[in-house]
Amino acid sequence: MALATGSAQTASLNYVMTLGVAAMEGRGFYYPVDTATGPNGRLYVLGRGHDGDPRGIQVCVMDVDSEYYGVFGLVGEADGQFIWPAGIAIDSEGTVYVSDEHLNRISVFDASGTFLLKWGNSGSGAGELNGPNGLAVDAEDRLLVVDHRNHRVQRFTKDGDLISSFGEQGGGPGQLNLPWGVAAASSGDVYVADWGNHRVQRFAADGEFVASYGGPGEGDGLFLRPSSVAVDTEGFIFVADWGNERIQMLDPDGRFVAKSRGEATTSPWAQSFLDANVQEAEARSESDLDPDLAFLEGNVREESHHTQTYFWSPTSVKLDAEERLHVTDRNRHRIQVFERSR
Amino acid sequence: MTIELDLMGHLMRRAGFGATRDELEQHVAKGYDATVEDLLTIDGQEGIVDDLLYRYLPDHQGGMGMAGAPGNLLFRMINTRGPLREKIGLFWHSVFATGYPKVTQGRVLLDQIAMFREHGMGSFRDLLVRLSMDPAMIMWLDNDENHAGAINENYGRELLELFSMGVGNYSEQDIKECARAFTGWTVANTKYMKTMVERDSLWPYGRVSFRFEFRAEDHDDGEKEFLGERGRFDGTDVIDIICRQEATARFVSRHLYHFFVADEPPVPNWPYEPPRDPEAIDILVRSYFDNDYNIGAMIRTLITSDFFKSNDARYQKIKGPAELVAGVLRLTGELRQPEPAIQTNAFHMAFMGQSLINPPSVEGWHQGVEWVDTGTAVERINYAAEHLGDAANPGVRSMAASVLSGGSGLSPEDLVQGCLDQLGAISVSDNTRSALVEYAVREGQVTWNGDRADATRRVVEMFEMVAATPDFQRE
Repeated sequence: MALATGSAQTASLNYVMTLGVAAMEGRGFYYPVDTATGPNGRLYVLGRGHDGDPRGIQVCVMDVDSEYYGVFGLVGEADGQFIWPAGIAIDSEGTVYVSDEHLNRISVFDASGTFLLKWGNSGSGAGELNGPNGLAVDAEDRLLVVDHRNHRVQRFTKDGDLISSFGEQGGGPGQLNLPWGVAAASSGDVYVADWGNHRVQRFAADGEFVASYGGPGEGDGLFLRPSSVAVDTEGFIFVADWGNERIQMLDPDGRFVAKSRGEATTSPWAQSFLDANVQEAEARSESDLDPDLAFLEGNVREESHHTQTYFWSPTSVKLDAEERLHVTDRNRHRIQVFERSR
Repeated sequence: MTIELDLMGHLMRRAGFGATRDELEQHVAKGYDATVEDLLTIDGQEGIVDDLLYRYLPDHQGGMGMAGAPGNLLFRMINTRGPLREKIGLFWHSVFATGYPKVTQGRVLLDQIAMFREHGMGSFRDLLVRLSMDPAMIMWLDNDENHAGAINENYGRELLELFSMGVGNYSEQDIKECARAFTGWTVANTKYMKTMVERDSLWPYGRVSFRFEFRAEDHDDGEKEFLGERGRFDGTDVIDIICRQEATARFVSRHLYHFFVADEPPVPNWPYEPPRDPEAIDILVRSYFDNDYNIGAMIRTLITSDFFKSNDARYQKIKGPAELVAGVLRLTGELRQPEPAIQTNAFHMAFMGQSLINPPSVEGWHQGVEWVDTGTAVERINYAAEHLGDAANPGVRSMAASVLSGGSGLSPEDLVQGCLDQLGAISVSDNTRSALVEYAVREGQVTWNGDRADATRRVVEMFEMVAATPDFQRE
């Protein structure tokens, strides 16, 4: 259990398992950036892929038991295709929403991945989008969209009609700077990963500023470029502290509780690969993939690059119905799952 | 065009990737020597926000394949405020040419070029030590198979032949002794890394990071005789001896002259063809020894020398593909932020014959006129003309507005000169100028009264025409 308890809190953050395997096509992920779990219990993993390579940009559907249900989505600008897929969310009926921060649109699919519709127009006016990425569905099945280059969050109906908007560019309370992830708490409050301001901000349902957590730094409770936030039913806050290559857990008042750099193990899909490729498995088992890191002089990004168990570019934290935390470990092409002790 | 502006344009093309007319005027106001010092001292990271690149372009950080790394390098060439740093990274990548097939990942090669960027203007001795410890180089030249009692000469040979002294300045026995000195210099997890490379494996969790490892038990610690000296040399001792040789000073000097001043023949011809300017090489050799092998000091000597400033050095180099593409994009104002088009533009460097992180061999790219054949010539001209002839590009619009900034009309001759000025205070041959004027004359005087749309069209067409000239392929 690679956690630290930094306050009087008794809650801890426990590693559960690793899911997925690197794959440019089919079963697996290539630079995954976000996940969402549907009412059908299936986990939808959004692959960002890489420009210049048509493979990897897809949604891979699986579950926490590593059952594989297929993929959908392709690179391109046609219906159901993506250029820079950035966020994924699922409503109570199982409808899947995917944001594309290059095409400035939201694509909508049914639970099986059949394209239904798309909406969104480029611009900075009300309801227009400039770089939609983080997505969340609120208790009334409305979609919160982080419109990040417009430094705001917009709330839409499922069909893309604007309901409300909050945030503007800046570093003051309630202002945002290239925000990324968003979470809709059961209380109705909205939490935003304010990436450029190194903090998480909390807003009331009507967009009123409530609180700010964190600030730039490497210490407990501080963040560097946070990419994502999730809030459980008791109000505990989970943050993908992207620039510090870790996740952090805060209590409902925003006090630091625990953190983790990741502790990935061999996922079922990884194991099936190693079982089928004995020569690689043998060489891997003889290797030191978690070396003494002193030569990296405390550079956390380099440490993550050189340590197989660590997160390397954790871009998203999402809770499923069982309140397990799915951490998208982008540059390692896998999901690390954690849970809060009760 | 003033003499100062002309010279500044020359400096920025050679020590950078060109500059706009406005930038050149700012440099002229600051002065030549002060601009040289800026070039030598500005950190290459200025103007580059890695967090933004990594946020939008995962492979610039993860470096899984061949695609992301050239895009990352191109973005840096366009946007850095320390262009000499980026250029020196390109220089050493050309000299110490290391390729993708032996590592099958972009990241370890990006790390190598970052090392060149950071240390490539310091001591040549330190650079060779870092090179010898670089995992990509160890894999590229098989030093992981160089064992005590069973040497692999590949790295030892190329260190002497291509990286420091040149053919004819050492014996076959020196190569063997050099190889012995580097036994035990390898990469960690050798067996697994080689297996991953051989299978081009990205499973289960992406590429595995390379790191240097010295294995004392696999190092031949015995006495060696190398270039006339005897001792229980290891790799760093051998590099010390190499760096003391005049042949090394001459070899490095000729490389710098070739890259910054005027095209020389390909390196394999150097033992048989004298340098184009032997006196210039002598000056650089003195600078090498006077400054403890410091490359930055040698570059200062070079770009403040008469032979560099001379008119004889103007346009004596064919732009390399990376220089051409980055130079065009710096003018057009494109790709100032991370966006998908970085990748498609990076592909054009490869179409022109320079696939960064994947040189054709350890000799690197043959440069000069060898950059251009019938296929690459079409690609080069089309690329430059298409981008500089597109009025949708912010830099093109800005340059066009500057050409039309005074009065209400331009003669065909003034139109041509105005465009050459805006494209970085460049010069063309008399024949080319006549052809451009002849083209402009067909529509006569450029005039505008309020509405500048048609005049702007004429200017942008002229940018496109200039970009399509053979002169524009030179720097």
